[in-house]
Amino acid sequence: MTWWSTLFAVSPLVVVALGALLLMLAEALGRPAPAADGAVVTDVGSGRAGELGIGSAVVLFAGGVFALSLWMVGPEALPGAEGLAPYFIVDRFSAFFGVMLCLGGGLSALLGGGYLDEHGIDRSEFFPLLLWATLGAMALAGAGDLLTLFVALETMSIGVYAMVGLRRNGRAIEAALKYFLLGGFAGALTLFGAALLYGATGHTDLAGIGASVGTIGQPGSTVPAGLVLVAMALVVSGLLFKVAAVPFHMWTPDAYEGAPTPATTFMAVAVKCAAFAILLRVLFGAFADERVASWGTGWPPVLAVLAVATMTVGNLIAGRQESVKRMLAYSSIAHAGYALLGVVAAMRSGMGQASVLFYLLAYTVSTVGAFGALILCGRRGAEAVSYEDLAGIGRRHPVVALAFSLFLVSLAGIPATAGFFGKLGVFLAAIDAELYVLAVVGLLNSFLGAYYYLRVLVYMYMREPSPNAPRAVPMRSGQVGVAIAVAALLVVWWGLFPLSIGADVTAAGSAPMAR
Amino acid sequence: MDALLHRLEVLLPADEFTLLAVILLMPLLGAFVNGVFGRRLGDQAVSLMGLASIAISFAGSVVAFALLAFAANAAGSGESGHAAAATTFVWRGWEWLTLSARAGYSVPVEVAFSIDPLSAAMALVVTGVGLLIHLYSTKYMEGDPGYYRFFSYLNLFIFSMLVLVLGKNLVMVFIGWEGVGLCSYLLIGFWFEDGANAAAGKKAFITNRVGDFGLIVAMAMLVYYVGSLDFGTIAANRSLLLQDLSYWPPWNRLPLLDWMQTQSDWSVLSTVHGWVTTPWHASVATIVALALFLGCVGKSAQIPLYVWLPDAMAGPTPVSALIHAATMVTAGVYLVCRMAPVFALSPFAMFVVAFVGVSTAVFAASIALVQNDIKKVLAYSTISQLGFMFLGVGVGAFAAGFFHVVTHAFFKACLFLGAGSVIHAMHARIHATDAAQDLRNLGGLRRFMPHTHWTFLASVLAIAGFPLTAGFFSKDEILYRAWTSHLAVPVPDGKIPGTTVTMTGWPAWGPSVLFWLGVAAAVLTAFYMGRLYLGIFWGEFRGWRIVRRFRPRAAGHHDGASGAPGAPLEGPMPRESPLAMTVPLMVLGALALVGGFLNPHQLAVLIPGFHFAPVDDFLAPVFATAQSFGEVAIITHTEAGSVLAALAVGISVVAALAGLGIAYFIYAMRGGTPARELAERVPWLHRILLNRYWIDEVYQEVPIGTVDTLASAAVWVDRWLVDGVIAGISSGVVRVAGTVLRLFQTGRVQVYATAMVIGVAGVGWFFALPHAAARAFGDDDTGRYSLTAAPGLGYGYRWDADGDGAWDSDGFGQVRDVRFTLERERSRTVRLEVENAFGLRSMRRFEFTRPKVSRARPAAGRNTVIEIDEAGGARTVTLPDGRKIELEAPSPAEEGAR
Repeated sequence: MTWWSTLFAVSPLVVVALGALLLMLAEALGRPAPAADGAVVTDVGSGRAGELGIGSAVVLFAGGVFALSLWMVGPEALPGAEGLAPYFIVDRFSAFFGVMLCLGGGLSALLGGGYLDEHGIDRSEFFPLLLWATLGAMALAGAGDLLTLFVALETMSIGVYAMVGLRRNGRAIEAALKYFLLGGFAGALTLFGAALLYGATGHTDLAGIGASVGTIGQPGSTVPAGLVLVAMALVVSGLLFKVAAVPFHMWTPDAYEGAPTPATTFMAVAVKCAAFAILLRVLFGAFADERVASWGTGWPPVLAVLAVATMTVGNLIAGRQESVKRMLAYSSIAHAGYALLGVVAAMRSGMGQASVLFYLLAYTVSTVGAFGALILCGRRGAEAVSYEDLAGIGRRHPVVALAFSLFLVSLAGIPATAGFFGKLGVFLAAIDAELYVLAVVGLLNSFLGAYYYLRVLVYMYMREPSPNAPRAVPMRSGQVGVAIAVAALLVVWWGLFPLSIGADVTAAGSAPMAR
Repeated sequence: MDALLHRLEVLLPADEFTLLAVILLMPLLGAFVNGVFGRRLGDQAVSLMGLASIAISFAGSVVAFALLAFAANAAGSGESGHAAAATTFVWRGWEWLTLSARAGYSVPVEVAFSIDPLSAAMALVVTGVGLLIHLYSTKYMEGDPGYYRFFSYLNLFIFSMLVLVLGKNLVMVFIGWEGVGLCSYLLIGFWFEDGANAAAGKKAFITNRVGDFGLIVAMAMLVYYVGSLDFGTIAANRSLLLQDLSYWPPWNRLPLLDWMQTQSDWSVLSTVHGWVTTPWHASVATIVALALFLGCVGKSAQIPLYVWLPDAMAGPTPVSALIHAATMVTAGVYLVCRMAPVFALSPFAMFVVAFVGVSTAVFAASIALVQNDIKKVLAYSTISQLGFMFLGVGVGAFAAGFFHVVTHAFFKACLFLGAGSVIHAMHARIHATDAAQDLRNLGGLRRFMPHTHWTFLASVLAIAGFPLTAGFFSKDEILYRAWTSHLAVPVPDGKIPGTTVTMTGWPAWGPSVLFWLGVAAAVLTAFYMGRLYLGIFWGEFRGWRIVRRFRPRAAGHHDGASGAPGAPLEGPMPRESPLAMTVPLMVLGALALVGGFLNPHQLAVLIPGFHFAPVDDFLAPVFATAQSFGEVAIITHTEAGSVLAALAVGISVVAALAGLGIAYFIYAMRGGTPARELAERVPWLHRILLNRYWIDEVYQEVPIGTVDTLASAAVWVDRWLVDGVIAGISSGVVRVAGTVLRLFQTGRVQVYATAMVIGVAGVGWFFALPHAAARAFGDDDTGRYSLTAAPGLGYGYRWDADGDGAWDSDGFGQVRDVRFTLERERSRTVRLEVENAFGLRSMRRFEFTRPKVSRARPAAGRNTVIEIDEAGGARTVTLPDGRKIELEAPSPAEEGAR
């Protein structure tokens, strides 16, 4: 009965894939919503964004539930899971990311349902795209082979390119094109690096590559060290693009701003998390040898420099933005920097990988919430984007403002929120790895971050809008409300009870990265 | 009644006392509902929500208090006379996070709360006085656009204060501590449209940060030395704090010192050398206690951090009454009481506490003598009274100091609310805040506002220490104990165990100086309170000309604001405040009169053999640990009933009557003329006091001015160097580059791609270049040094370990470590060259010098060895003197016995 357990092992992916197919059918064959006032119906299935949003959220949450049950059964107990390795590794790491990505994707879908309806964007292909992209992201988190890595990476990316350009206005198209061109470039780098690795080691699976790299220097080894180093530089650079680390970050603000906000949320959350997952798999699966993972000569110093650059650049530019959406885009760059800090610390500290995972989890819920609150603050034709738009919202709509504040406080890393423990874990891991300077730099950076996050609070609570300025009138959307409520609950829950999930994060983080 | 309590005891077991959760969560719920939905609910519902949540909390505190007293009775009935262990009810919420301490020992931080006699009494004060002030605020704040906001903040404050009071460990206390600070900030700046109010809020917040730094240091040291932040565990393992803490002056490693040491001809130099290279010694307990006290100084507005409290009066008056008089500012005293076992270990720290306290009492009272703003007078009086409390706890009379917290909450809250009532009445015609509370505009109000007048009088008598009022019993007890208490060093020979370092005890002049300063402060207090009372309620009303059947003109609401001296203002008779405001006044006033009989020690002077001190008896178990350490009794004092006690009581009574009498003579009989004459005759003294010793100005100039100067320097550098030169050059470069880039005008995506290419090139460049990195290890004592080269893929290594300038081997090998030894004052340059897979080479030099003298300094507390068994449970601590201590995390049952 192995095939049952094999099916169970991949059930989260299967559920999402089947759901995506169903949604495509529904979108293609379903009747359009009755158009008001004889408006021209542009697309079959249009006007049904709300329903499709709920549908895709249900699919994704179902996928999440399957991933969760996989976690509870324990992937190591499944006899069928072994047969999938190295192409798809079913372990606690991928199950953890399955839950996290489905959560992030599902909440983004809920935001999408509310947002597209409100802003009259009749493009319901958004939802199948989102499902396929999530599928790609989940596959990426489990990829143990360069082939699946590339396929999954492109599955995820192509869906996201289309989502960015959903709105078909000049700005969105420009953003999508930029993202596509640069993404293609980065994909090519990864692919070229993969080819070189195969040439150098004769392996495409990460475990095999890791073993071959280990033989370098031993008598009789024919693996060329130089080629491996070049390949490593290319593969890592390609993945850092998806993470949006400096200097591979420049597409981020444009793409984040041009995309409809739910797509931005999805990119900031699911794409980034999946990219971190595969980065961890590649670094600790293929390049975990002491000679490439050492502080003096290997990838850790490179990533450390990039981490510092990423968080500093992200925070500095975020502080100068006048648009809240763009500020959140830059802040997500900065957050990639903190998470990279955890990746670097993982070379020497056992806490490192777990700290990255918890960081991403906390970041996911806080970011979804922050974007969701931003969506909620704007109505059709008056999307709230600037600080001024939010002035006085604390008086007029205290619930929205309170939720927004909660997420920003979590992003800033203030105690009793999930974000605080995310940062705490990363910094402790850095200290554990004796990277004191990095920990201090991270700490200083979080002061920088607090400045611009709290600035939103100042506008919400302590400023009144100037008399003629447009006022933010929050939209009424149950879907967005639910997404925010779920995110807020998790932010507070993990902030108050971080140990309730600590052991699980550690278990996920200590799984071997390649088989 | 007993049956009921028995039932409750079953329902609420001591180690699962969920009632605490109810007490805590109700105000939080109130704050949430009022803050989020308050605007929609309307003022009625907001007041109902605010009052009901506090009322439930208060009821819960009463039940907890009753259960505690019941349990204490049951436990104490067997062995009377001997102080039984304090009964403690615990509610453990959950484990919040884990800190790591020395030797890999992890310190769990629990979200846990406990209630013992001390915290029960404090919780009663917080919720009880809080309830009254909430009731008062419903009328006082009526019609304010921020009504719901006010109640939300006030409820949040009560929640934070309860977290502070009920917290079972220092982390919870810290959270509450910061929470009350935040609420205080929000409420001081409640009318933040006025810039001065916002500035006052900021001042309070920033001054408190200085104190919080001390609290954080203390917590870190407790984690390090005791391995716990839980009050019970700290008290149980406090012997760990009796270690020597050596602190080396930071400049002890300057190379200059070696040269100074060699100059034996110049004795000055070697003296300086000796002074700089000798560590300063103190016991860990002293440093921890002083760091904690720094936090208390900030929160409780003592010298030198008191400056924020007078400004904090910018907030609404109920806030001043609740936060800046009755509860939050006494948190410092509460913390000293809570940490009494630690403070008692250091007589030096205790003396600092007592001396700072009594100095503040005199200092603030002297400023209060001449202030004209009634809220400012009360603010300085609060600072002064807080000083009395610190005097009490500083001399080891923890129960007396804490009892003053309680009585002070009664009479000072009453005074502030009375002042609020007066201001409320004044607002009929005078709207400018400053003018409405200026003593020169008041007077004669006793005819118009009888309720306010009588309650105010009761509180004035109490704070002045008029015999048999609440303030008399609490203040007199403090003064008496200041005179008669004796604090001993907790170790028999006065040396820190395992060292030759002597602990600092009390100076011989200590008790008498403390006592007489305290008496001086008491006289001043009685005098300025008399002046305040007479100024408000006696004489002629000076606010406006009272006109019968006065009708304000249409624009009448604004004409009072200026209070122009030329045109005398006209107005109606000042009116007594509504019932919702006078009822709290009456309750508090009554308590100010009779509250002292909760602890009337002094009656023993009149009635020989009299012993009735319920508060003392109730609190005694809490402070039992602090009284002695092992065999040594730390705090002893002469028993009440002696001649000395009678003398002390006599002196206090004389002090109170003298102060009140002089005030009556000057202000009621002579209309204030003698005071004016004195001010004219000694103008400098009057000016010093009126300007509050210019302390605010000094702070403005020295610390703030320094920062300002630095900032101006930075601005100058920024303007001339950065903007002028660097920005000039770079903007030129950008302009040129922009022109060049515009030639490729096809969109910025190329730039992005270029950046990526540069990034890839950079990453590749780092991997392709060889890095001769190595870590050096060495020990100057033994002269052994070693170098370990960083591993690299495809690297070969060759060394010049002997420093002769030639490579040890011609080819590159795989040897990554070298070791060698050096003689004293010898140097060696070791070279490392690596060759990588691309055939590129890199070389680095490492310099080693073994110094003549070893400057390695022993780490603080190095001699303390902590062992942990396999299970991670029991620990053995070996102290420097060879004592071994078995430590175990106390089980809930044992913990009751703290």
